[in-house]
Amino acid sequence: MLQKPILSLNQVPGLWGGCAVLMRAVLPCVILPCVILAMAAVCQAETKGQPEAAFLKSHCYECHDSNTQEGRLDLTKVTFNLNDPLMFATWVKVHDRVKAGEMPPESPRPSVREQSEFLRALSDRLATADAERIQDSGRSTWRRMNRYEYENTLRDVLGAPWLQVRDILPEDGESHRFNKIGDALDVSHVQMARYLAAADYALREVAMTSAAPPSKTQRYYARDQRSFTGPLRFSQFNRSPERSTFPLLGNTADVAVLNDESHPLSVGDKNPEVREQEAVGVVASAYEPLEVHFSSFRAPVAGEYKLRLNVYTFWAAPLSEKQWWRPDREKTSAGRTHEPVSLYAQHPPRLLRKLGTVDASPEPSVVEITAWLAKGETVRPDPARLFRSRPPSFHNPLATKKGQPGVAYKWLEVEGPLPSKSLAEGRKLLFGDLPVKIAPGNQIDVKVPDAKATSRQLITKFIRRVYRRPVDAADTKRFVALVHEAIDAGIPFGEAMIAGYSAILCSPAFVTLEEHPGRLDDFALASRLSYFLWNSEPDETLLKLAQNGELKNPTVLRRQTERLLADPKSQRFVAAFLDYWLDLRKADDTSPDAGLYPDYYLDDYLVESAVDETRAFFTELIKENLPVRNLVASDFAMLNARLAQHYEIPNVQGSEIRRVKLPKDSVRGGLLTQASVLKVTANGTTTSPVLRGVWINERILGVLIPPPPPTVSAVEPDTRGATTIREQLEKHRNDASCNKCHVIIDPSGFALENFDVLGGFRERYRAVDSAKKPKKIVGYGHNGQPFEFSNGRVVDSAGSLPDGRKFRDIRELKLLLAKDERQLAKNLASQMIVYATGAPIRFNDREELEFMLDSIQSSSFGVQTVIQEVVLSRMFQNK
Amino acid sequence: MNQPASGPSVVTRRSVSRRQFLKASGVALGLPFLDAMMPALARAETTAAVPRRMLAVCNNLGLLPEKFFPAADSTGRGYQLSPYLELMKAHRDDFTVFSGVWHPDVDGGHPADNCFLTAAPHPGSGGFRNTISLDQYAAEHIGHLTRFPSLTLGVNMRRGQCSLSWTGGGVLIPAEEKPSEVFRRLFLQGSKVEVAAQVRKLKLGESIMDALADQTHSLEKNLGARDKERLDQYFTGVRDLEKRLASAREWEGKPKPKTSAKAPEDPANPREYMEKARLMYDMARLAFETDSTRLVTLMLDSVNSPAIEVEGSDINDGYHSLSHHGKNPEKLKQLEAIDSGHMKLLNTLFTDLKGTAEGGANLLDRTMILYGSNLGNANTHVTTNLPILFAGGGFKHGQHLAFDSKRNYPLPNLFVSMLQRMGIEADKFSTSTGTMRGLDMA
Repeated sequence: MLQKPILSLNQVPGLWGGCAVLMRAVLPCVILPCVILAMAAVCQAETKGQPEAAFLKSHCYECHDSNTQEGRLDLTKVTFNLNDPLMFATWVKVHDRVKAGEMPPESPRPSVREQSEFLRALSDRLATADAERIQDSGRSTWRRMNRYEYENTLRDVLGAPWLQVRDILPEDGESHRFNKIGDALDVSHVQMARYLAAADYALREVAMTSAAPPSKTQRYYARDQRSFTGPLRFSQFNRSPERSTFPLLGNTADVAVLNDESHPLSVGDKNPEVREQEAVGVVASAYEPLEVHFSSFRAPVAGEYKLRLNVYTFWAAPLSEKQWWRPDREKTSAGRTHEPVSLYAQHPPRLLRKLGTVDASPEPSVVEITAWLAKGETVRPDPARLFRSRPPSFHNPLATKKGQPGVAYKWLEVEGPLPSKSLAEGRKLLFGDLPVKIAPGNQIDVKVPDAKATSRQLITKFIRRVYRRPVDAADTKRFVALVHEAIDAGIPFGEAMIAGYSAILCSPAFVTLEEHPGRLDDFALASRLSYFLWNSEPDETLLKLAQNGELKNPTVLRRQTERLLADPKSQRFVAAFLDYWLDLRKADDTSPDAGLYPDYYLDDYLVESAVDETRAFFTELIKENLPVRNLVASDFAMLNARLAQHYEIPNVQGSEIRRVKLPKDSVRGGLLTQASVLKVTANGTTTSPVLRGVWINERILGVLIPPPPPTVSAVEPDTRGATTIREQLEKHRNDASCNKCHVIIDPSGFALENFDVLGGFRERYRAVDSAKKPKKIVGYGHNGQPFEFSNGRVVDSAGSLPDGRKFRDIRELKLLLAKDERQLAKNLASQMIVYATGAPIRFNDREELEFMLDSIQSSSFGVQTVIQEVVLSRMFQNK
Repeated sequence: MNQPASGPSVVTRRSVSRRQFLKASGVALGLPFLDAMMPALARAETTAAVPRRMLAVCNNLGLLPEKFFPAADSTGRGYQLSPYLELMKAHRDDFTVFSGVWHPDVDGGHPADNCFLTAAPHPGSGGFRNTISLDQYAAEHIGHLTRFPSLTLGVNMRRGQCSLSWTGGGVLIPAEEKPSEVFRRLFLQGSKVEVAAQVRKLKLGESIMDALADQTHSLEKNLGARDKERLDQYFTGVRDLEKRLASAREWEGKPKPKTSAKAPEDPANPREYMEKARLMYDMARLAFETDSTRLVTLMLDSVNSPAIEVEGSDINDGYHSLSHHGKNPEKLKQLEAIDSGHMKLLNTLFTDLKGTAEGGANLLDRTMILYGSNLGNANTHVTTNLPILFAGGGFKHGQHLAFDSKRNYPLPNLFVSMLQRMGIEADKFSTSTGTMRGLDMA
C-alpha cells in the first residue's frame, strides 16, 4: 500500500540539499500546487530589476512560465514576498536545486559565475529575510506544554509519580513529526476544561494521601482470593481445565481441594507449614474469564509499595493419551520452564497499568518489585508466555505429549505505603503542616483559624514553587483574590485552596513555556534544557543556576546536560523522543492478523519487550556515547529471553533487558531490524517496502519523501500469496515518473522484506487462502487457534541504493548505510533540534548545523556528543 | 462538515405540543416551550439550528445473528426484512441495518461492552485504558446547550464494572439505574441548598477562568504577532469555557419543566429487565422532548441478568446462560422471545418519537438511535460482525448496508457521521477511517 507521508512546506529544508534525485521529485509534487493557488494574483513584475531576474529569465522561464509550467511550477508568478512562508519555501527549494546542479537541467547550462552570482543573491535575500523573521519572532512559536510534559510536570511538582494525567488531556497536534511545535499545540475550551479536570484530579489525589495509614506488611494468600479459587470449579461457563485454576501443594496436585467441594480451600493459620505449600496455578495467561488477581488487597491510599510475590513454575501432565494437549489437574509435577510473570496494577473495572515483569522458576522464590499504586488499585499477575485461551476450542500451543508448563502462586506480600520524601513535600506544598481530612465526596476539609491569611501564604509559596521563573506580584495577587472570593462565597477553605491551585496549574504562565525573541534568558534556558532532557520542569539546581546567571556559561551548560542525562528522569526524554521520532507510541496501533500471525496474536509481552528494547538501545547509545553509525549497524542488541527467542539468538534467559553481543552474521543490530520499528512500519497483516523505505529515508537518513501524486492508487496487498508486493511494485517502478521517487524509497524497504509484521525473520511470505487451508495443522498460536496460513513465495531482499551501490540483503544494506556517518548524525541532530527547540532547521540554521557536524566528526558523532552540541548551539539558546 | 457554519446562525422557534402523554406509564406532563429553555448564549453559539440528539443502546449479549441480519445477498434499499426487523416493519424507512461492521481490534469477549461507544482496542489485554465515549465527546461540544450535558443510564448493571459512558481520561461514568431517579433529576427541583452549592461551584469555575484570562492579557503585551495569535487562542479557550460554565449556572436558576404526574416506580427485581428497559426508553424520550439533554446512553447489562420476564414467554434460564445456547432449540426459542421483546420495545420508542412533533419535524427525525452490541454472536463471544441498527436522526434510511463479513468495516466511521450530524467538527473518532460509507444525511 502506498501511503502518503505527511509533509509540511517548510520542512527541514537543510536535509534535502544532498539528495539530488530526490529534489527532482519534490518540487513538482509538493510545493507547486499550493504556491500557484496562493499566488494567483501576483505577477512577474515582482522579480524584475532584481539581481536574480536575468538568471531566471534566461535559465528558468523557458520551462517554468505560465504557459509551460513544467512540474506545475510557474516561476513568473513567484514573488519575493518572503514574509509569506510558502513563497519563502519555494525560493529555498529553487536555491537548493540550482545549487545541487539539477536545475537548469541541460544546456544551455549557466556559467559557473552566473550560477554562483544567482545563488549568492538569492541566498543573501533568503538569509536576510530569515534573520529578520528570527529577530522579530524567534525560530519557534510560543507554545503550551504537551500532555506528556504536563503529566511529568504535575508529577514532579506534587511528588506524585502515579498520577495518570496524560490520558485526561486531548491528543496533541503534531508538526514536523513532533508534539513540541507551538503552531500545532492548540487550545480550545475542551483543552481548558480538561486541564482543569486534570489539575483538580492531581491535587485531590495528593491531598488524599494525608489520610494514609501507617505502613504495614501483609500477606495475601492466593487460596484466599476469589479470582483464584472461583475457577477451581467447573461451571456452566467453563468446562476446560485450561481455563481453570490448579490447587497445588508444592508441585503436587491438591486433589482433596480439587475434587471435594466441601473441603476447606486452605488450612489457614493453624498449620503454617502446610499453608506455606498451598498454591494456586494456571496454565494460561490472563484472558476473560480467567483473570486472577489479589483482590483482597486494595491500595488504601496512593503511594509507593513493595510487592513480594511467592511464585514458581510447575508442570501439568497430559489429560490422556488421546487428549494430550489438555492438562490434567490431578497430575502435576516440578516445573520444567522459566516463565516471565508481568505484574499489573488493576483498577476496577479492568484498567491495567503494567508495573514490571518478574521471573518464575521451578524453585519457589519470592520476587520483589517496588511500585507506585493509585488508591484502590489491586495487583494482577500475568504469566505472559503462557497462551491466551481465546474461543472457540482453543489448544495450548505450549502443550506437548509430555504435558504443559504452568505458573503457581502462593502469596503476595505487600509492604506500604512506604514513606516518600517527594510526596511528603508535595503534600506540604498544598497545606503546610495543617491537618487535612477527607470529607464525603472527596471534599478536602482543612480547619484553619484565619483562612484568608493562611491562603495568602500558601498561594504565594505555591506560585513560587510551580512557576519556572521569578513571580510577578500581580500573579500572586490575582490568585489570592480568587481564593478569597471563594471563601467569601461560602466555599470551605480546603476546597477554595484546591480551586486556587487548579487555577495556577491551568494558568498560561504555568502551561506555556515563556520565551521571547533573541537569546533566551536564563530561566527560559533552564526550562528548555529540562523540557528537552527530562520532558518536565527544571529542578532546584537548574533554577538556582539560572537565578545566578550561570547557566548560559558553556561549561556549566555542558555539565548540566551530563547531569540531566545521568538522572533517571532522562528516561522520559528517551521514551517521548522515540515515541515521536520513531513512532514507538504507535506500537499498539495495529494487531497482528489473527489468521496470518496467530503466533503473535495477543502476545502483549512481545510488543512490550520490543518497545523496551528500542528504549534501552537508545539509552545505551547515549550512556556509552556510542558512534551514530550504531543507529543502523551495531554489534550488540538489548534483549530479554522473549526477544532473543523471537530473534533466534541463543542463551538469553529471563525477563530483564540486557546488552547482548550479537553473532557475527546476525541480521540484528541497529534500529532497522528491531521488532518495534518493524512493527510500526507494518500494518499487522502485510509489510510494504514503500512504507518502510519512506520511514528509513525520513527517520534515519533524513531524506524527505514527497507524497505520491493523488491520482496514484495504492497497491492492494495480496494475502493469498499469488504475487509478492515486490512484483506488484515492479509495474510502478517501470513508470519513469513514479520511479523518480521509488528508486530512492524502495531499496531499503526491499531489504526489510525479510522481516514480518512483528520483525520475525522470514525467507518466505505467509499466505492465507480460505480455499486452500493446510491439510495438517502444524502449530497453534498464542491465542490457542490453529495455524491456517501456508508458506508462500520466497522473499527477494536484494536491491541497489540510488547511487548504484548494490546489496544482497539487510546485512549488506546496513553496512552501506552506516558508512554515511555524517548524514546519520545530521539527521539525528536535526530531529533533536525540532524536539528540543520546537522549530525545524531553518535556512539560516544550515550553516550552524554543518559547523556543528564538522566539530564532532572526529568523535565519530557519539550520540551523547550530538546531544551536547545541540544544547550548546545557537539554535538551542535562542528563541 | 456538513453543517453550514458560516454566517449568523438562526434558531427557529419551535412549537412543542404542550402536553405529551406518557402512554406506557400513564403520566402526563406539562411542557414548556423548548425555546424558552434555551439560554440566550446557547442560541448564539449553536451552529446547527436544529437540535440533534442521540440515544445509544448496547445490549451486551447481542441478538441472534441469523434472525437479526437480513440475508447477505439482500442488500441496499430493496432488501428483505429479517424476522426481527419484521417486528419493526412500520418503521422500515426510519432505520438502517448494518452488517459486516466491527470496532477494529476491540476483542476480548465480554469486556468489549465497555468499548461499545469508545472503540478503544483490546479491552481484555494488559495495559488497557479506555478512551472517551461518543456521547462524552459530543457533550464536550454541545452539552452546554441543555440542562444536562448527557445522561448515562443502565439496566441490571454490574456497578462500577461497566458503562457506556467514559470520560476523556478513560474513567467510567456510573450509569443511573433507577427510572425514578432520572425522573427526579429531569423534573423535580433540587433543594435550595443543593442548587446553591452547585451555583457556587460553577461560579468558582467562572472566577478561575476570569483569573486566567487576566493573566493571559498581561503576558500578551510583549509578544510578536504569531506568538500573540497563539496566546489569543488560549484566551479564547478560557473565555469559551467560562461562557459554558455560566450557561450551566443559568440552568441552575431556571425552573425545571413541570409535570403533573407521579414519578415512575422502579421495578425491584432484576427479572423485570424488560420493564426496566422500557422505562429507561421512556425517560430518554422525556429528556429529549423537554430538551433536558441531547445525549443519552443506555447499557442493557444482559450479562448480569438472571432469567428474565418476557411477556407471553416462559424463560427458565439465565440470560447469559441462554446466550451460550450451543444451538439447543429450547434455548434458542427462549432467546428469540427475549430478542423479539427488544425489537418490540424499540418499535414502540420509534413510534412514540415519531408521534412527537417539534418545529415542523418529529423527534425521531432529530434523534439518532443506535442500537447494537459488542458481541457479534454471544454463543462464540466473537466481537466481529456486530448487530447494529441505526434509526432516525436525519439520515436517509430504509436500507441494509452490508459490508464484508470476513474483513469487517470500521463502525467508528458511523460515529464520525453521527458527530457531524450533530454539527460537531470531527473527522476522526478512535479507529475511524472516514465517515460511514453509504449513509447519507436526509
